[in-house]
Amino acid sequence: MWTTRTLWLFFKRDLWEALSYKLNFLFSLFGILFSSATFYFISQLISGQSEVLSKYGGNYFSFVIIGLAFSGVLNIFQEGLPGIIRSAQLLGTLEALLITPTPMAVILLGSSLYPLVYSVLQSLVQIGLALVIFGLKLGTVNWLGAILLFGLTILTYMSIGILSASFILVFKLGNPFSWAFGSLSALFGGVFFPVAVLPGWLRWLSSLLPITYSLEGLRKSLLLSLPLEALWPEIKALLIFSFLLGPLSLFVFRVALKKAKKDGTLTHY
Amino acid sequence: MPNNVIWTKNLKKSYPLIKSYRDLIRHPFQRNFIQALRGIDIAVPPQTCFCLVGPNGAGKTTLIKILTTLVLPNEGEAFILGHDVVREEALVKRLVGLAIAEERSFYWRLTGRQNLEFFAALYGFPHQEAKKRIEEVLELVGLTRDADKRFNTYSSGMRQLLGLARALLPEVEVIFVDEPTRSLDPQMAEKIRKFLRHELVDRQGKTVFWASHNLAEVEAYGQEVAIISKGKIQLQGRVKDLTDNGQRSLFEIYQQYVQPNGEELSGLNGRN
Ligand SMILES: Nc1ncnc2c1ncn2[C@@H]1O[C@H](COP(=O)(O)OP(=O)(O)OP(=O)(O)O)[C@@H](O)[C@H]1O
Ligand SMILES: [Mg+2]
Repeated sequence: MWTTRTLWLFFKRDLWEALSYKLNFLFSLFGILFSSATFYFISQLISGQSEVLSKYGGNYFSFVIIGLAFSGVLNIFQEGLPGIIRSAQLLGTLEALLITPTPMAVILLGSSLYPLVYSVLQSLVQIGLALVIFGLKLGTVNWLGAILLFGLTILTYMSIGILSASFILVFKLGNPFSWAFGSLSALFGGVFFPVAVLPGWLRWLSSLLPITYSLEGLRKSLLLSLPLEALWPEIKALLIFSFLLGPLSLFVFRVALKKAKKDGTLTHY
Repeated sequence: MPNNVIWTKNLKKSYPLIKSYRDLIRHPFQRNFIQALRGIDIAVPPQTCFCLVGPNGAGKTTLIKILTTLVLPNEGEAFILGHDVVREEALVKRLVGLAIAEERSFYWRLTGRQNLEFFAALYGFPHQEAKKRIEEVLELVGLTRDADKRFNTYSSGMRQLLGLARALLPEVEVIFVDEPTRSLDPQMAEKIRKFLRHELVDRQGKTVFWASHNLAEVEAYGQEVAIISKGKIQLQGRVKDLTDNGQRSLFEIYQQYVQPNGEELSGLNGRN
C-alpha cells in the first residue's frame, strides 16, 4: 500500500520546495568550486612532503577532495532530515503527516530521500569538477567496493539523521548533538588530514566515528585501486554501525515522538 | 459507552511549561504545568453533529488532538468507535479525519493540488483514485479554479478550505473540525456549515465533532452541544432541548456557565 509512489511524492515535495530557491543551487556550486580551488593551491605547497600522505598516493589534493566530497553526505544528513522535521513542526505539517495512517518509518524514509539524492549529486559534482578542472587523478577504481562503502555510509548517516531529528522533535530548538557530532567528524574523521597524524589517544576517538571508516575505505577504492578484500575492515565497521544505529535510531525516534505527543511539541507553540 | 462514537472518561491533560534558565537554577526539580483538561467526560452518539463551545484556552483544541492521537492524555480514557486512542492508535487514525485550526499546515511552495496529491498518497489512495477524489473535494470547497496556484498565494480563508478538503480526502467515520468557518466569508461559511450537517451527518451518516466560537451556527446546525470551560465540561445536551426549541438563546445558556472574566487564559497555571 505504501508504494514507491508515496516515496516519490515525498521526493517531489522536497524537490519542489528546493527548486523554488534556485539561487541556492548556484551558491552551492560556487561553494564546491571555491573550496576545491582553495585546497588545490594548498596542495601545491605540501604534496609529496609527507610520509603519511604517501600511503594515499602522495597527492594532498586527491586525498582532501575525497574527504570533502563525501563528508558532504554527513552534513546533509545532519541538517537535511532534522531540518525537514523542524520546518514541519513550524509549519504544522508534522501533525498533518502524523494523522495519516502512513507508518512513521515510511515518513522518515520518504523525508530522507531528497537529502540523499542531493548529497549524492553533490559528491559527484565535486569529484567531477576536480577531475575536469583541477586534474584529479583516480586509481583504477574499485567500483563495487566504492558503491558498497557509499551505500553503507548512507545507511549509517541516515540513522544519525534520524537520531538528530528525534532531538529536534523533543527540544524544538538547537541541536547540540548534531553540532558536536559534525565538528568531531570534521576534525577527527580524516576529512582534511590522515588520522595517522593524530596522537594515539585521539586516534581512539576517530575510531569511534563512522566517517573515519567511510573515508578510509573510499580512498582505498578510489585512489589506491585496492581489491574488495582490502576494504573488508572498513566494510565491517560500517556494517556494524548501520546494524546498531538503524534500529536504535528508529527506537529513539519512536520514544521522542511519544514524548512530543505528551508535551504537545508536535507543533511549535 | 457501547453505542457512542466518541466516548471519554475523566480525561486529563497538563502541558509542561518550558522553564527559564533562572528557574532551572533556582528550582531544578520542580516542573510547572498548565492544566488544559481537568477530567472530561463526553459521549457522542452516532450520526451526530456535535458542537463544542467554550472560551479561548478552555481546552477544545487539546481535546480534539487527544481524540485524533496527536496528543497523549495524562489520565483517563478516550475511545473512538470502541477503540482506545492511546493503545489502538494506528486503528483510530483510520477512523478519524481532522481539519486542523492551524491554516499553515501545508507546503507553501506547492500548489493546492500538489499538496492534496501528497496527502492522498499518505492516505493510501492509488494514483487514479486519488485524482478523482481530489477533484471531488476541491469542487466541494470551491477551490477548483485556484487549485494550481501555490499555497503561499492563498488567502487565509482559502487555506482553511484546503485544510477542510484534506480532512475529507479519506473515507472516515468521524470528522473533527476545529473552528472550520473562522476565516470564511459569510456565503462560504454557510456552504461549509450546510455541508458538515446536511451532507456529512444527515446524508452520509457520519459523525462531526465541531469546535466553534459561533453560537449562532451551533444553534442552527448543531444537534448536540457541550460547553467546556476551565478544562471541564460544564453542560452537555441536545441543542433543541437546551434552547426549548429556540425559546432561549444558546448565548444566554453559555453566559450562565462561563464567567466572562478571562480567567481561562491566566488562572489555569498550576503547579504539580
Ligand atoms: N502545546 C502546548 N504546550 C503548552 N501549553 C499548551 C499547548 N497547547 C495548549 N496549551 C494550553 O492549554 C490550554 C488549552 O488550550 P487549547 O488550545 O486546547 O484551548 P482552546 O479551547 O482550543 O482555545 P481557543 O478557543 O483559543 O482555540 C491553554 O491554556 C493553552 O495555553
Ligand atoms: Mg483551539
